[in-house]
Amino acid sequence: MSKRVNRIDELSKDIPPSRDLWPAIAAAIADQVSADLSMKAVPGRRRVGWWSAAGLAASLALVSIGVLIGRQFGQPAQPVANTTIPARDPALLPASMQRDAEYRKQREELVVQVNAKLAAMPPAERAKVAASLATLRKSIQDIEAALGHDPANALLQELLVTSCQEEMRALTTVRDSGHQEI
Amino acid sequence: MKPDTVVEFDVALIERARKGDAKAFERLYREHVGRVHGLCLRMTRNPDTAADCVQDAFIKAWKALPRFEARASFSTWLHRIAVNTVLEKRRGPSNAEMAVEDPGEYEEPVMVFDTPVEEEELEAAIESLPQGARDALVLCGVYGYEHSEAASMLGIAVGTCKAQLHRARGLLRDRLERGVR
Repeated sequence: MSKRVNRIDELSKDIPPSRDLWPAIAAAIADQVSADLSMKAVPGRRRVGWWSAAGLAASLALVSIGVLIGRQFGQPAQPVANTTIPARDPALLPASMQRDAEYRKQREELVVQVNAKLAAMPPAERAKVAASLATLRKSIQDIEAALGHDPANALLQELLVTSCQEEMRALTTVRDSGHQEI
Repeated sequence: MKPDTVVEFDVALIERARKGDAKAFERLYREHVGRVHGLCLRMTRNPDTAADCVQDAFIKAWKALPRFEARASFSTWLHRIAVNTVLEKRRGPSNAEMAVEDPGEYEEPVMVFDTPVEEEELEAAIESLPQGARDALVLCGVYGYEHSEAASMLGIAVGTCKAQLHRARGLLRDRLERGVR
């Protein structure tokens, strides 16, 4: 039985939504900030909303990986140069993340496993997956560089964490990929 | 938290949000989302539409923050944006001035029942009201806005708002089968 009320203004004013609406709002705000930055660009020089671009690049990389690892790897593996991920590259790890020993350890282990997986892939697929992962890492580097100029920017900090999480998810997906559709 | 502290807390968050601090704006969102959603849900009667309205309202609020005057109530300002968003979503002449008998004397926004009503029964009765009467009832009766404030939010005349509330009171009386003062 629900609560009884004597006056209409005794009804609860607060009715929380059934799901968290903030992520969609935050994404729209990030787009807005990105658009504002573009508008403030030096005249004559078109400035790309870099974090929007970084986010897009990360999304594209994830999509590419998703598509690629869903394919059948029918061809025998052949060694191809420059398609492995450096396991220890402090430059690729955001400073905040470098302090997180557990994150660093997990990433290093994942990278070793992903490199083994990459080595077993057909060369063309390997190159594409490696390129997608490199795009993700580049996005993280771009955000880290921007944070260097604006360390207190909360949206950048959030985007950095999200991008690092996306990279971890992508690495995990590649590691766990096989012949089955992902 | 005392009301004054809440206001000061909001002011500090609003100032930070104005400067582009999304975390501060998220805090404002968390603090106000329940009320804004409650308002949108009662006005739209549809959870999905209400959620869309809440999202749009907060996005509009973020964009409009530089124009927000700190002296005003952030909550009222946010509600005004939410009501506008609901009205835009309806895309119809829902708030057209309608002919209802003059309420005569001043229509007191607060409604008192002669016997207690279960919340669920009352919410269902409100949900069943015609749109115009429901809007006036939700804003004036549930959320405590003056007729002038509610009328301004809804884009109707104060007299129409009073008439709609009068109509809502009569319909509630019939549907709840009890006295409503």
